Amino acid sequence: MESATTTKARLEIHRDVKQRVLGGVAAGLGRSLGIEPVYVRAGFVSLGLVYGLGLVLYLGLWAILPEEPSPETAPVPGIDRRQRFGLLFVFAGALLVLRGIGFWPGDVVMVAGSAVAFGLAAMWDRSESNRRRDEARLLLPGDRGERSVGRLIVGGLLLLVGLGLFAGGIDAISGLGTVVLAALVTAAGVTLVLGPWLVGLARDLGRERTERIRQEERAELAAHLHDSVLQTLALMQRTDDPRRVVTLARAQERELRRWLYEKGPAVEGARLVAALRSAADRVETDFDVPVEVVAVGDRSLDDATRAMVGAAGEAMINAARHSGAESVSVYLEVGDEVVDLWVTDQGKGFDPGAIPRDRRGIAASIVARMSRHGGTAEVSSVPGEGTEVHLRLERG
Amino acid sequence: MIKLFLVDDHELFLAGVRSELGEHFEIVGSSGDVDDAVNAIRATQPGVVLIDVHMPGGGGIAVVRNLADTEVRFLALSVSDEPEDVIAMIRAGARGYVTKSIAPADLVEAIRQVNEGDAVFSPRLAGFVLDAFAGSVPASDPDLDQLTPREREVLRLIARGFAYKQVARRLEISVKTVESHVSAVLRKLQLSSRHELARWATDRRIV
Repeated sequence: MESATTTKARLEIHRDVKQRVLGGVAAGLGRSLGIEPVYVRAGFVSLGLVYGLGLVLYLGLWAILPEEPSPETAPVPGIDRRQRFGLLFVFAGALLVLRGIGFWPGDVVMVAGSAVAFGLAAMWDRSESNRRRDEARLLLPGDRGERSVGRLIVGGLLLLVGLGLFAGGIDAISGLGTVVLAALVTAAGVTLVLGPWLVGLARDLGRERTERIRQEERAELAAHLHDSVLQTLALMQRTDDPRRVVTLARAQERELRRWLYEKGPAVEGARLVAALRSAADRVETDFDVPVEVVAVGDRSLDDATRAMVGAAGEAMINAARHSGAESVSVYLEVGDEVVDLWVTDQGKGFDPGAIPRDRRGIAASIVARMSRHGGTAEVSSVPGEGTEVHLRLERG
Repeated sequence: MIKLFLVDDHELFLAGVRSELGEHFEIVGSSGDVDDAVNAIRATQPGVVLIDVHMPGGGGIAVVRNLADTEVRFLALSVSDEPEDVIAMIRAGARGYVTKSIAPADLVEAIRQVNEGDAVFSPRLAGFVLDAFAGSVPASDPDLDQLTPREREVLRLIARGFAYKQVARRLEISVKTVESHVSAVLRKLQLSSRHELARWATDRRIV
C-alpha cells in the first residue's frame, strides 16, 4: 500500500478523459504506469469479481484523481519487461493476500474470470498494430504482426481456459446441457476473438469515407478554378488593353477571395458594406477603373442606407467616367449616430461654378436621393486636384 | 541607394518585383525560406526588407520576430487582405503593410518611407486600425489603448485615399507632423494590450 502511494505521488496520475471508456481512470493509470490501459481494465474487472472490490476501487479513484489538465502531455515512456513482470507479481500477490484473509469468492471464479479478462485484454491490445500502421510502408510483409500473432495465441489460450473453467463451474451448479453451453461458449469466444478485427474494419471504412470526402472537395475546387480563374486567365491573354487586364484580374481576385473566405454565396444587399462593395464592383467592371472600398463598421440595409448606396454608386460612376483618375476611393464609416461615406478621386476635378449640364444633373440626383431620406450630400472639387462627394446619414 | 532585400516564396512574383524595383533600389538578395532569409538578412544588412506574409516555415512573421534585435525595417507585402494577417504582421514589428495590388510607383514611395523610419499605412490598413480602435471601451492604458482625435482624423483621411502630403494640407499641418501621428498609431498598434485588437481580428475571420 505504501509503495503504491509513493508511486502515485511520483507519477502524478490523472484521469485521461480523452482515452476513456468510463471515467478515464484505467487510461490514466495505464499511461502513468506505461502499460496499455486494456490490461489495467482487466485488472479492475478481475478485482471486481472479489465482491465488487474492483468497482469500489475504480469509483474511489474516479473521485480522487484529478482530470488531466492538458491532454496533450507527452505519453510516459513505457516500462521494460522486467518491471512489467514486477507489476504482474504485485497484482498476483495482492490477490493472494485477499485469498489468505478469506475475502475470496472462490478459486474457480477468480482464475476463470481473470484468465478471461486478461486474455481479452491481450487480444484487444492494439498498441502494437497502431504503432506498426505508421511504419507499415517500411516493413516487409512477413515482419508484420509476428508478435501480435503470439499475443493473439496467448490471449486465446487464456480465454479458452477461462471460459472452460467458467463453463465447468456453471455446468456443475445449474446442470445446463453441456452441448448448449459449449455452443454458447464457442459463440462468445468467436465474437470476442473477431471483435478487434471488426473494430479495425469499421475504422478503415471510416478512413476511406474521409478520403472520399476529401477527394470530392478537391474535385469541387478544381471545377471552380476551371470555371473562374482559368477562364479569366485565358481571357487576359487575349486582351491587349492593360487597363482591361487589371480590371479582369481584380474582378477575378475579388470573386476568388469571396469564394475562399466567405461561407456560401454572398447575400447581396443584406448588409450595408456588402451592398456598397458590390456597387463598387459593378462600377469597376463597367469602367475599368479600380474602386477601393474601405469600411469601418457595418449595419443592416434599410431604405435610407439603400439610398446611400445608390447615391454612392452614382458618385463612383461620375468619378470613373469624368475624372480621369487612376482609381476611386470609397470610405464608409458607420457610427452610432451617423453614417458617413466619402467617394474621392484624385482626378482633374472641376470648377463648381462651371459644371457641364450633365454633371450637374448627376450631382443634383445624388443630393436629391440623400435628402429624401433625411441625409445630406456635399460635392466639393478643386480643378487639378480631384473631387470628393461626402454623403451623410443621421440616424433618426 | 537604399539596400533592399526581398522575402517571398513565389518565384514569379519575386522576378516581377525585382524588375520593377531594380532601377530604384539596390537589391541585395532574396529568399523564399524563413531560416535562409533570417541568415541572409543578417549577412547583407539591408535597409528595408520587403516581406511576404504567407510562407512555409512560420511565415513572414517568424522572420520579423527573429530579426527583432536588428535595425532592419520591414514592409509587409501580401496578397492577403485579411485583417488578422495585417494586424499580426504589424504587431510583430513591421513598419507598414501594403497589398500586392499596389501600383509600382506607390510601392517605391512606400519603401522610401519605411527606410526613413516612417510608418506606411495603406487606406485599408487605416480602415482596419480605425475599426479596431472603434468605440470608447474603458482602456487599461489610455495612452496606448485609444487614438487621439487628431490621430483619428489623420487615419480617416488616409482611409479616404489621400497621401500624407494631401493629409497635411487638409489639416493645415506639416507632413512631418502627419508622419509622427502615423508613427504614434503604429506604436499603439504594436504595444496596445487592448483585448479588442485580438478579439476583433478573430471575429473578422468568420465574415
